[in-house]
Amino acid sequence: MKGIRLLALIGAVLALGLVAGCGDDDDGGGGGGGGDQAAEGGGDTIKVGFLSDCEGAFGSFFEPTASGFNQALIDKAGAKPASKKPSEGVTGATVAGKQIQIVGYGCSDGTADKAIEETRRLVEQEGADILVGPLSGDEGIAVANYAKDHPDKTFINGIAGAQDATLKVQAPNFFRYHPDGAQWSAGLGDYAYNELGWKRAAIIGDDYSFPYTSLAGFVAEYCAIGGKITKRIWAPLGEKDYSSYISQIPDDVDGLYVGIGGSGLINFVKQYKQQRGEVDTDRMMGNVFWDDPLVLKEVGNDLVGGTTSAMTAADSDDPDVTAYIDRLRKSYGKELAGLGPSVFTYGYYTAGQALIKGLEAVNGDISDQKKLQAALAKVRLSGDEAPYGDVRLDENHQAISDVFLKRIVKDKTGDGVADVATFRRIPEVNQTFGGFFTAEAPPPDRNNPTCEKRQPPPWVGKAEEVSFGT
Amino acid sequence: MSGSSQTPLDPAAGGVTDARGATAAEEAVEARAAGAPRRWTVTRVALGLVAAVVVVWLVVKASEDLRQFAVVSLNGITLAALFFVVASGFTLIFGLMRVVNMAHGSLYLLGGYLALEMQDSWFKEEVGGLGISLAGEAGAEYDLVGWLVPLVLATLIIGVLGVIMQQVFLRWNQGQDLRQALITIALSVIFADQMLAAFGGISKDIKTPTDWPESIALPGDVRFGFFRGVIVLGAAVLIGLLLWWLITRTRFGKIVRAGVDDREMVSALGINVQLVFAAAFFLGAVLAGLGGVLGGTMISLAPGEDTSFLLNSLIVVIIGGMGSLAGAAIGALALGLVDAYGDVYLVFGDTDLTNYSILLTFALLVAVLAVRPLGLFGRPA
Repeated sequence: MKGIRLLALIGAVLALGLVAGCGDDDDGGGGGGGGDQAAEGGGDTIKVGFLSDCEGAFGSFFEPTASGFNQALIDKAGAKPASKKPSEGVTGATVAGKQIQIVGYGCSDGTADKAIEETRRLVEQEGADILVGPLSGDEGIAVANYAKDHPDKTFINGIAGAQDATLKVQAPNFFRYHPDGAQWSAGLGDYAYNELGWKRAAIIGDDYSFPYTSLAGFVAEYCAIGGKITKRIWAPLGEKDYSSYISQIPDDVDGLYVGIGGSGLINFVKQYKQQRGEVDTDRMMGNVFWDDPLVLKEVGNDLVGGTTSAMTAADSDDPDVTAYIDRLRKSYGKELAGLGPSVFTYGYYTAGQALIKGLEAVNGDISDQKKLQAALAKVRLSGDEAPYGDVRLDENHQAISDVFLKRIVKDKTGDGVADVATFRRIPEVNQTFGGFFTAEAPPPDRNNPTCEKRQPPPWVGKAEEVSFGT
Repeated sequence: MSGSSQTPLDPAAGGVTDARGATAAEEAVEARAAGAPRRWTVTRVALGLVAAVVVVWLVVKASEDLRQFAVVSLNGITLAALFFVVASGFTLIFGLMRVVNMAHGSLYLLGGYLALEMQDSWFKEEVGGLGISLAGEAGAEYDLVGWLVPLVLATLIIGVLGVIMQQVFLRWNQGQDLRQALITIALSVIFADQMLAAFGGISKDIKTPTDWPESIALPGDVRFGFFRGVIVLGAAVLIGLLLWWLITRTRFGKIVRAGVDDREMVSALGINVQLVFAAAFFLGAVLAGLGGVLGGTMISLAPGEDTSFLLNSLIVVIIGGMGSLAGAAIGALALGLVDAYGDVYLVFGDTDLTNYSILLTFALLVAVLAVRPLGLFGRPA
């Protein structure tokens, strides 16, 4: 009896720990020091904190995100990479005569509480004036709320794509220079309904804010023009075993939109193949993860034929894009340059570019960060600052930019990895989908937005066909 | 005492069993614990009703989509197979030595990581660079040896590690349950951080041999993963049979069973109990390590999996009854099926409660403990 009580007690404690999501994952690696320049303090140094994920479902994107941010400093602030490993920092970064000191490369794990813990460390202990990051949806909402409470600091989002971070939180000092998850899905609903003839579709995604947003973008557009969503399936973020969720995907739909990301997508694809023989990509679309170079490298050949979208286009032959990849290669070598078209690398790159432009506009004076924030709100990125397409912000500090529709195709380059063929550009995608998403509407979640026919977003029917380098 | 005595480790546990499969001893314990037998009857009727409702619900759901039901059931059973491998080691150690090995999950995860490390460094070509990848594969090919050698070696290393753990940390605390539990908790925390430092925070998986099929086709247009459905399930059945044979048909098994009932007596009879304990710990750790390699191939390895498999083992053992092999099998099956069905069938009309499916596991635990405080096959120590 005594034994089993002890067992039960210990079990209960463990269970609580698991349910509350506070495992025993301390700050392991990755959170190392920043660049090794400049004395602390003094008015001549601008302290910047960097926040990304080095653990969890998106942990593999840690070095790519760091390479993107560092590359902006290398391009525009005269910095040099401290080593071939981006998270070891840069040296000699200066903007408008002020030295830029990276106080740390913060490492989160995709959860809001870890992101806030790292944000506090970087801002409150390491004294960062400006924070660049985070990476994942829930983290973004948490950091935006943190930003609201710390108006004397400035926050530039890394690549976290949950809608609420800008549309709902509306922190005056939080800026996002890339489209959110819903914007990334723009054009897919139109394409699915009108080109592929999907009348009924199902959606499956990770159960947290980014996939909610990502799938909301698809649902909003697809349903507006007449499509029906018959099933919504949500699996916990960090799920390793998707088999139960795969078995719930109905057979009587014309298509499936997949919003599973990070390492989960690899498991999903493998287990889908096991359960259904092959990934029937003709009937599938995927969100921004599908054509990420890391995903293509591991399961790309299974995804050939699938459709996806985002603000980058790996096959783009724009000279600015080629030059961007070349500069990345020069700084960090072939492997990281190959990840240049990843939204993760690119999102942090544009964040860095925007930061430098904002700092230049105030001549490096951050004694009053309100001025920096006013300057950042006006920043527009173009040319080599945003090689895949111009970016400007709306009144909520949320990017308005073009989005590309892409198809995953068989290997064209001979490296054995599937490639990307871009076929459409959706111009000027804004966060509200023409007034559909508002600060007052219920935020995207497991059931929202509901599927109703209504006024379609402004870009439906206005997509431009594009074709690179063929 | 050996051949005739029925012990909890005996798969056919039970001694003199009544219609419901409860032993007289258990009945007595329950009656004493409850004080009022009639209240128990009410609980049982209520739980029986709940169980009936669950079964009806499953039948309704199954008739809607038989193929889905087959796949979900297979998911549950294969998950149960993995739980069984891990939990049988846990229950063996617990049953014989009354050691709640809270580092059992760490041994599981470390076993997986060791196998992965061996597979990576011995059987994969060097790629260079930072080696950034989402799950650490990218087209590498492995033959059968590239999976089997890491499996065997990692499993043995974990077995030896288990013995070292027992000899260095637990032997001198024999019989002090709480102290031993705390020591193993400490070890598990140390292991967790060391593994995070050594293997990183990204989930990785061990690769199956390239020429193994991805999936098998079953009757009724059902497809299922080959590794999951054949290897893991087969391994679990094989291990179950081997353990059963070991426990019931060998001298070692006799000593273990006797030890479960009365350690002092066994020791007084001149058997080297310390040697038996070390062997049991070796076996238990081997099973954890093996589970880690199977789980790391079937699902993934990541920080936190150690805690979650420890918790699974605890639940399995609490449901099944401590020290009982049959209990571990039944407990694993119950947990696996509840887990799988909960993820899929917790939908009532428009209300989707699947994200609460983890709570079902604990409901199951509460239900079992309400009726049988010692677990389904448990007996008082």
